[in-house]
Amino acid sequence: MKHLIPEFEALKRRLPPELDSTLVLPCLRRIQEDRGYVAEEDIDGLVEYLGVPRIQIEEVLSFYTMLRRRPIGHWHLQVCRNVSCSMRGAERLIDHLGRKLGVAPGQTTADGRFTLSTVECLGSCGTAPVVMVNERYHELQDERSLDALLEELKQP
Amino acid sequence: MTGRKVLMNFEVTPTSHTLEAYLARGGYQTIAKVLRELKPGDVTKEIVASGIQGRGGAAFPAGRKWQVVDPNDGQPHYLIANADEGEPGTFKDRWILENSPHTLLESMLIAAYALAVRNAFVYIRGEFDQPYRRLAAAVEEAYAAGYFGQGILGSGFSCDMFIFRGAGAYVCGEASSLLSSVEGTRGYPRNRPPRLTVKGLFQRPTVVNNVETLSNLSWIMQHGAEEYRKVGTAKSPGTRLISISGHIERPGVYEVEMGYSWAKFIYGVCGGVPNGRKLKAVIPGGISSQVLTGPDAKIMTPEEVESLTLDHDALWQMGSSMGSGGMIVIAEGTCMVRLLQVMLRFYHHESCGQCTPCREGMGWAHRVIDRIVAGQGRPEDIATLRYISKFNDGTTICGLGDAAGYATVAFLDHFRDEFEYYIEHKRSKYDGRLECLPEAAHA
Amino acid sequence: MPEIFINGKPYQAEPDQTVLQVALANGIYVPYFCWHPQLSVAGNCRICMVEEEGRGVDIGCNMPVKAGMRILTESDEVRAHRKAILQFITLNHPVDCGICDKAGECTLQDYHYQYNGTPSISHDRKVTSTKFYDLSDRIVLDNERCIVCSRCVRFTREVSKSNGLGIEERADGSLVRPSTDGSFRDDPYSDNVVDLCPVGALLSRSFFYKARVWYLQATPSVCPGCERGCTVDIWHRKPEWFVQSLDAAENTAIARVTPRENAAVNGPWICNKGRDLARIFERKRAGQAMLKGRPVDLPNAVAEARRLLAGAARPAAVVSAWGSNEELEAFRAALGGRVTVMTRQDHVPEPGEVVEDDLLIRADKNPNSAKLRELFGNAAATLPADADLVLVWGEGFEFARIPPGAKVVLLGSYLAPENGHADVFLPISIQTERDGHYTNFQGVVSGFAACFPKAPGVADAETLFAGLAGGGP
Repeated sequence: MKHLIPEFEALKRRLPPELDSTLVLPCLRRIQEDRGYVAEEDIDGLVEYLGVPRIQIEEVLSFYTMLRRRPIGHWHLQVCRNVSCSMRGAERLIDHLGRKLGVAPGQTTADGRFTLSTVECLGSCGTAPVVMVNERYHELQDERSLDALLEELKQP
Repeated sequence: MTGRKVLMNFEVTPTSHTLEAYLARGGYQTIAKVLRELKPGDVTKEIVASGIQGRGGAAFPAGRKWQVVDPNDGQPHYLIANADEGEPGTFKDRWILENSPHTLLESMLIAAYALAVRNAFVYIRGEFDQPYRRLAAAVEEAYAAGYFGQGILGSGFSCDMFIFRGAGAYVCGEASSLLSSVEGTRGYPRNRPPRLTVKGLFQRPTVVNNVETLSNLSWIMQHGAEEYRKVGTAKSPGTRLISISGHIERPGVYEVEMGYSWAKFIYGVCGGVPNGRKLKAVIPGGISSQVLTGPDAKIMTPEEVESLTLDHDALWQMGSSMGSGGMIVIAEGTCMVRLLQVMLRFYHHESCGQCTPCREGMGWAHRVIDRIVAGQGRPEDIATLRYISKFNDGTTICGLGDAAGYATVAFLDHFRDEFEYYIEHKRSKYDGRLECLPEAAHA
Repeated sequence: MPEIFINGKPYQAEPDQTVLQVALANGIYVPYFCWHPQLSVAGNCRICMVEEEGRGVDIGCNMPVKAGMRILTESDEVRAHRKAILQFITLNHPVDCGICDKAGECTLQDYHYQYNGTPSISHDRKVTSTKFYDLSDRIVLDNERCIVCSRCVRFTREVSKSNGLGIEERADGSLVRPSTDGSFRDDPYSDNVVDLCPVGALLSRSFFYKARVWYLQATPSVCPGCERGCTVDIWHRKPEWFVQSLDAAENTAIARVTPRENAAVNGPWICNKGRDLARIFERKRAGQAMLKGRPVDLPNAVAEARRLLAGAARPAAVVSAWGSNEELEAFRAALGGRVTVMTRQDHVPEPGEVVEDDLLIRADKNPNSAKLRELFGNAAATLPADADLVLVWGEGFEFARIPPGAKVVLLGSYLAPENGHADVFLPISIQTERDGHYTNFQGVVSGFAACFPKAPGVADAETLFAGLAGGGP
């Protein structure tokens, strides 16, 4: 993560000096964006850079659902299964994706291309059902649109 | 159509979120006027006079929260806009972030000036990407134009803005948990005392306000508190951004003047229940508000529905609340047992685990409802769910436990027969249906 | 000084106190798991709820006192809440009491009987989790028993400052876990979490499955590991529970060592070395008096020592900082005028041992250097080269430093090769076999009491010195 330190230093410009540990979550997000997950050496580097105890980083990594310490598939298909999405067919779509990809929620396809997850409310209930693919929201989904999406994502 | 507009008072176009468009509709003139003509205390007085209530869910009067902070105590203060928007059914702060981020930013400058805040934050939930990009671009525009930084608009007032992205935790929408997150630790809520306005972020006086609450401020300061009080009702001034979803013809975000008729809103503006189905129930303000039944259930009469208005008092009297304004419409034929299952699964997933009643209670309630849905319910399960709800009411560090309890009890009160049916017959009265399908599909 | 009312009676409070502190200070017991007088307020267990008349219930550990407030600690609502909290805590708590070391001194057991006493109303499977998780090679964690009170975590953050422990995951899957950088393993105060843990989640490996606590008694003692002199409890079998058929050595073994709370010295903590006192006291003991390695009975050996001492022209003595106040006084009274004294700190820091820190550990690894300085402040730094007899009292003294030709009378407790080389060897008792006191580096005097009887052939140094001086038979 050392190559990201200049970026982190830039972040400090808009923070008051006593607030260094504020950077824990922003740094972890950026590290994960860069590597795909947070590795042990990233934790070591961040501990050194921020001067926070290692256990604090480990606690944070385990607490927040979007952070991970292991890599996942290239495309992370996150289907909301909360109230409004379930009322507009989310359960059907989860089953559909599971069948199409041959995995259960929480698993990654054998070729490492897709990871299927169920997530809680994404704040897009008006355009339910919603599937978040990596960072992007794909709203108003149905079986057909998901099939088209999978085709698109299968392209190299 | 839904009354006067405070926030959605411009046409949304592909560029209406930019600084240029915002300036064209009078943007950043209010902060200029405030910096020129008013003292910080004057601003707070105006906000108190406006009577604006928090729009995140708790409806606490914003002015009263601000008054605890003494602008002249010589220590750092912090202002944080709560854009964690995790309450299921709610997606209205997102509208502001995507379509008029400068409204929020200008309002935050006004608030920062009033509260002697040098460093302001927006805490935005980690999953929001497009809203984050729009907001981040707006912040850069504002910095470039001199609205953030040192000596804003030639005054002695300086302010920096930091956008803090969350990473997936509903509990971080609770103000003290939000602070724990910003401090770089697990999102553990804190016991009060001390209040956050006394000891908040890094033990400094901190004001956390919802995005929509804050975004109203520039209008209030532009037109005055008296003018603001002409909008809405006497006890609930202003408008609410209502997010409506579920079994509704035209879901979306609507700005509704407080006091507007429920029936007109649901049936008229939003097109009513699709597929010719009847209304069974409405969750008015995010799933943590108590569900209310429609004309087919025995609790609310059609006249009561007709007379119900969108304001705090009316909903409190019905045993519910406006909450986050996340309205979920539920059609007849929906299995309320399965719906509660979705909700309890959510609360269990999101409990931070810090305090006993919620940590153990959410898991317990989830296991009980899962068992009922699997056809292994027991007669005492309803009493158990009530027990868990009762001992999460007022006993926890934050409101997650209470909310789950209120929501559960409301479901059990209004739809007891469905739960008893499921337990006795080991299956749903409505085939476990959550979707609203046309009449034929229900046969 | 605000006055508050608890259960109708007035009590004086300090302005910065909480209701819980005022109640406890006045003998009104309010149950608590996560609160601890030496740690920050966590307010997560929720069992310390009290009722403020007219305002409902809230936790007492975070409730600041206000003049005139009226608190009820035994109202129906408070009792209902306590019972419910115990229902929640025991919801997933494994029924391990039969195999759990904490049984008999477990806060959860005690509170369950006192404040709930009824079976669980849940018929669902309990949540299972990791059992026998090694937090280090000294501490075992059982996550199923853990009530996530965070006392252990707060201890490593606020007291030992190792930041060795944290809580990972969320909801009822929350797990206490050690930092992967080994900081808990390296924390010299790690074992205090065993005392802090209100349930049997954190247990000491060295005490694991050793004995039921109700078979044991605690005898006050002082840790000799350094000049801090932390007061401790040494636990050993009660006489009425002596084992008949198993190894009788169990009856005179140290089962465990725990801190004895002492505001003046160590508060409620000790370091791990104090936990391991058996390593010091249960080394192989010397039980046989000898003359140049030839076993003789004790009176004969004493007589020979007395004869040698009487006949010495320039006797010297090496006096140990492990002597108790009483032993050192007795030595000075009997022999101080007759011999040239050289004082000695028998123990030095071992490789890898923490030398000194900001908390309890001191560099001087001997219990009574202060008394030694007080009594023999002007002692010689080395033995006089012309000494013709040296009385060595203590362990580890290098015999090469004895002036050639000088006679040696050695007083020792443990088996060592030099015991057989001394002209007279007299086995003496150790701290756990007699009453006595040490003076710590701050001048605080702390007492220890006998736990075990001494073996027949072993002498008490305190009574020995008068005899050596020739005053007795």
